Amino acid sequence: MAEITCGSRSTREINADIRKALAAGEREIIVREPGARHNLGVGILEPVRIRFAGSVGYYCAGLIDGPSIEITGSAGWGLAESMMSGEVVVRGSSGNGAAAAIRGGTVVIHGDAAARLGVSIKGGTVLVAGSCGYMAGFMGQKGRLVVCGDAGDAFADSLYETACFVGGRIQGLGTDAVVEAPTPEDIAWLDSTLAEYFPGAPRGKQFQKVVAGRKLWNFDKREWKVWQEAL
Amino acid sequence: MRDVLQASATFQPAVIEDIQAKADSGLYRIRGWGTLRERRWATFDDLTFLPCSLTRIPLEGYREKCSTRTVLGTRFARNPIELDIPVMITGMSWGALSYNAKVALARGARAVGSSNTTGDGGMLMAERENSRTLIYEVLPSRYGINIHHMRMADAIELTIGQGAKPGTGGLLLGSKVSDMIATQRDLPVGVDQRSPARHPDFLGPDDMIIKVEELREATDGRVPILIKMGASRVFDDVKLAAKAGADIIVVDGMEGGTGASPAILQEHTGIPTLAAVCEARAALEDIGLYGEVQLIIAGGIRDGVDAAKAIALGADAVYIGTAALIALNCNRPLYVEDYQKLGTEPHHCHHCHTGRCPVGITTQDTELMKRLDIEEGADRVANLMRAMTLEIQMLARACGKSDIHHLEPEDMAALSMEASAICGVPLAGTRKVFGR
Repeated sequence: MAEITCGSRSTREINADIRKALAAGEREIIVREPGARHNLGVGILEPVRIRFAGSVGYYCAGLIDGPSIEITGSAGWGLAESMMSGEVVVRGSSGNGAAAAIRGGTVVIHGDAAARLGVSIKGGTVLVAGSCGYMAGFMGQKGRLVVCGDAGDAFADSLYETACFVGGRIQGLGTDAVVEAPTPEDIAWLDSTLAEYFPGAPRGKQFQKVVAGRKLWNFDKREWKVWQEAL
Repeated sequence: MRDVLQASATFQPAVIEDIQAKADSGLYRIRGWGTLRERRWATFDDLTFLPCSLTRIPLEGYREKCSTRTVLGTRFARNPIELDIPVMITGMSWGALSYNAKVALARGARAVGSSNTTGDGGMLMAERENSRTLIYEVLPSRYGINIHHMRMADAIELTIGQGAKPGTGGLLLGSKVSDMIATQRDLPVGVDQRSPARHPDFLGPDDMIIKVEELREATDGRVPILIKMGASRVFDDVKLAAKAGADIIVVDGMEGGTGASPAILQEHTGIPTLAAVCEARAALEDIGLYGEVQLIIAGGIRDGVDAAKAIALGADAVYIGTAALIALNCNRPLYVEDYQKLGTEPHHCHHCHTGRCPVGITTQDTELMKRLDIEEGADRVANLMRAMTLEIQMLARACGKSDIHHLEPEDMAALSMEASAICGVPLAGTRKVFGR
């Protein structure tokens, strides 16, 4: 295992060290004293394990494809944005826009997530053990978003095909968001997935499922009120 | 004897048609193309060049060299973009445009040593393979964002907005969300896509500083980062983009085109391209970065004359979009019956949003697409870009410049008081700059 200590060095230097270690064939890297720096671990394309021992700033693990990244502290905005595959686990909480526009992979947040969790998600899975802020799942195209605690206002606004699950209370649904009963397949998936990541989480059957009401998909003048509120 | 027919100046036929269409649908009008308004604002046509006579010596038009080499992204990137000409192809998505159109644009730009840009739909591999210099666009929708593709690009353009509809997101109607487009972008097939106005992972200019750094980290600082904006509060926006670390700033004026947008946004938002270039230059001068941060101007650039005037006013290069599509036969009188099926005629078509483009450019219909021959289209695009470059050189030589980038405001006079005030050049026949 390679060890990199950030100390007083710049993000550019630290990321260069990570790339150097990967080029040397290292498959496990621990990065100490990340100091909430922004843009750590961006653009990693190898199936390696990287652990940031502490908190990280904006865009940690952004634009990755394949690695498993663990953050032992909390993460700033845009965690794992545009990830294509891999796994990102945050032991603490995350800032705004965690898992924004991810296309695949899994983002796991053991604490809470701030606003706009999983915004514009296009695939993959987002799991939050705690609660999330407002506008989670906004304009989600595909993928799954699971919040074991409470969801903030405007939850699942303007969805396409993303499936959202909430174990606690939903402060308010977004435009065109519709609550429906989880299917047996949903419940089985929730039970197995949550058992793997959050053993103490509610059981799958306790979750509400939120999907698109599809009234915003194509304009219909009979749904004018929905559009007035949405636009 | 019949009375003379007199139409209302307020409720003109187009206004009546607009009201009745909205009364039918309950929805604002959506169309492609760009503003259709009569241009009562100052445009590049309100400027004229002042070629050499006795005070300056011209260059021989057909003999003496006049460089068109254009280097962009010299501020921070290790590998700036080097182009043979200052005319570039703007971002237009695969989705808004057909596969054939995207590849033809790439080949055309490559043939003249210039660049093309991916647009709001990710990178088409054939576009990369046929490009010399490819700019990878990152938009609020994040459709098709792929780090592997990003790393294949020669520059990254972080788009905040576009001139046809600044402050709003994109629009791709379901008729164009084919199986292939849906797969590329991870979307449901056939559903209207109204993409977000804001990026999902940053809001203001302070966050954007970090975002720009992320893009640099993702590409190891190798390629330039462009920040593109619709022309709105240009003076302030350009300074903020420069502060955010842009190597290159793109300002897209209100005459810019679009594949689909609410018509009112095209007609009533943003400022004209002429005003935009002047504000952008003033902003960069104000913060001491003029020349260090390069400036690309877009929005209704039609020919080498518009391009030369934009360059004289401070641009390093221009983007063309609609003009390049016209080179591909947009609005040409071919397949006239298909224009008529759309309720329009050649030279009047702005129906890109329907996906039924009669000449195979703004469509995903495989039969319509066949009407656009890639090789022929590429030749036509290259020819237009060559002709525009010759026009720019012609004007530069006449003004005594051995490099088109040496054109300056002093090489022009204004033909209207508005243009004089906007551009800071004297009104023809006076020595006066209005407003100063």
